[in-house]
Amino acid sequence: MAVKIIESCVNCFACEPVCPSNAIYEAKPHFLVDSKKCTECEGDFPVFQCASICPIEGAILDSLGLAINPPGSLTGIPPEKMAEAMAELQSH
Amino acid sequence: MQLPVLNEAPAAKGGCAASSCGSTDNQMDSLPDSIREKVQNHPCYSEDAHHYFARMHVAVAPACNIQCHYCNRKYDCANESRPGVVSELLTPDQAVKKTMAVAANIPQMTVLGIAGPGDPLANPERTFETFRRLSEEAPDIKLCVSTNGLALPDAVEELSKHNIDHVTITINCVDPEIGAKIYPWIFWKNKRIKGVKGAKILIEQQQKGLEMLIAKGILVKVNSVMIPGVNDQHLAEVSKVVKSKGAFLHNVMPLIAEAEHGTFYGVMGQRGPTPDELQDLQDSCSGDMNMMRHCRQCRADAVGMLGEDRGDEFTLDKIEDMEIDYQAAMEKRKVIHQAIQAEMDSKRLEKAEKAQQHKQEPKLTTRPVLMAVATSGQGVINVHFGHAKEFLIYEASPDGVRFISHRKADQYCGGDSTCGDGESTLQVTIRALAGCEAVLCSKVGYEPWEQLEAAGIQPNGEHAMEPIEEAVMAVYKEMAAAGKLDEKPETVRASA
Ligand code: SF4
Ligand code: SF4
Ligand code: SF4
Repeated sequence: MAVKIIESCVNCFACEPVCPSNAIYEAKPHFLVDSKKCTECEGDFPVFQCASICPIEGAILDSLGLAINPPGSLTGIPPEKMAEAMAELQSH
Repeated sequence: MQLPVLNEAPAAKGGCAASSCGSTDNQMDSLPDSIREKVQNHPCYSEDAHHYFARMHVAVAPACNIQCHYCNRKYDCANESRPGVVSELLTPDQAVKKTMAVAANIPQMTVLGIAGPGDPLANPERTFETFRRLSEEAPDIKLCVSTNGLALPDAVEELSKHNIDHVTITINCVDPEIGAKIYPWIFWKNKRIKGVKGAKILIEQQQKGLEMLIAKGILVKVNSVMIPGVNDQHLAEVSKVVKSKGAFLHNVMPLIAEAEHGTFYGVMGQRGPTPDELQDLQDSCSGDMNMMRHCRQCRADAVGMLGEDRGDEFTLDKIEDMEIDYQAAMEKRKVIHQAIQAEMDSKRLEKAEKAQQHKQEPKLTTRPVLMAVATSGQGVINVHFGHAKEFLIYEASPDGVRFISHRKADQYCGGDSTCGDGESTLQVTIRALAGCEAVLCSKVGYEPWEQLEAAGIQPNGEHAMEPIEEAVMAVYKEMAAAGKLDEKPETVRASA
């Protein structure tokens, strides 16, 4: 059981020092979780520490592969609104 | 010629006048001597000092412990830099090397700030390691740090051990209900806390940190981002609170929100303030203080003096190869600093005398005018219009001349080709000068001349190498004599 950091990670370092198991490390092109070390914070904290400070929606997945912070949950930007803004930008 | 300069000896009360901002008429006078002395020669706060001295930033602190609605964390902390800027992240060791390399080569560099790309105090080890080493190895450099305030109370003790000259706290509100519209969440005691609850904790930490710093005798500046419809009405209250607790300056910056930055405000279409709205609020909060208004936002990513950016000379591989004998450099720096100080002192004396004379003159009754100036320092007009990367904005009025702000020539577009609609650099520059009625430079080319005139901005190349305030006043008097100041300006002040 382990969480996973995926490519939308912006390498902000925030998760690395808060992990109680030292499971997160700097790597290229983005931070990674050592799945052997990750305890999902069991016994230390009731919530995933990495996913509680990560500012990027969707950057950290749980063991089922689901985003712990789904789109809209952190920024408050409704996903449709974001898609609209991005489509607008692309069309320029 | 008569030369009134408000900045040295305010002749008029600021728009602030005790009531709205809770300050005294002249905040500089009310400051203890020790603080006033620090402020007076500070490149960030003293109007004349920033023509002679420079500061730089190093980005050593990537993590952040909160989210602001005007920030996209792919980029640098928007409290410190303009949105959409990415700095190269340095290790503390690289930051120390870079700082010493710049200080040895640009003796005018006297202040080092740790700024982002996240919140410096959310990265205490990296930030304090940098401070610790610089305090030891380069004791002639003043250090400063900016923070969102969440981790501030825990950091005060450590901060007080280093060469820390001042701390900037970004405080956008003192009311958690308003805070919830600015900060969607904070990370606190191992949990993400959203909404009003999170904002309340953040506000409490900011205020506690502010009080602790003041108790330790550390200079505190407060920055606020003006967000129309969210906290614009509330910032007078913020101003009153932070000044009553002892912050020496409250600095209001405009929200810059563009959809392409991918921030909450950008995507949701929250607008920033117009130059007029901003200036009105700045006036009501800072009065006539002789202060840099938003130097940070414009210059966070620059290395060098006003109007120049020598960052390219100090890239990581270049500093790797530099041999710096800092002891020797420090000797040289000392001599140069003394010479600059002497020059500044004599110019200040001159200005004070001229301001005195101005009081005897019959007073004009014309309206105030904003003018843009192209300069690379030394207090004179010495940059060609087309070469200016930034402009200093001054306000001329019957009371004299005062510095208002910096504007980057490309402030509103980010300087790349994404700013749409095929706007030329010239058009972007002209847009950045919205609200100004004249631009003073050492020279102006034919094409920009015509376009500036068409935009209602009078180009002027007649005062090359003249002291800025004198030239601005001379142009103001010409405008007054020509009857241009009797009515409102023709062009409507553009919204940014
Ligand atoms: S879930 Fe907990 S243990 Fe696993 S990487 Fe994240 S912080 Fe570390
Ligand atoms: S906190 Fe999120 S974005 Fe930042 S490094 Fe960790 S996974 Fe990447
Ligand atoms: S404090 Fe700075 S880095 Fe953190 S969210 Fe706010 S603007 Fe961004």
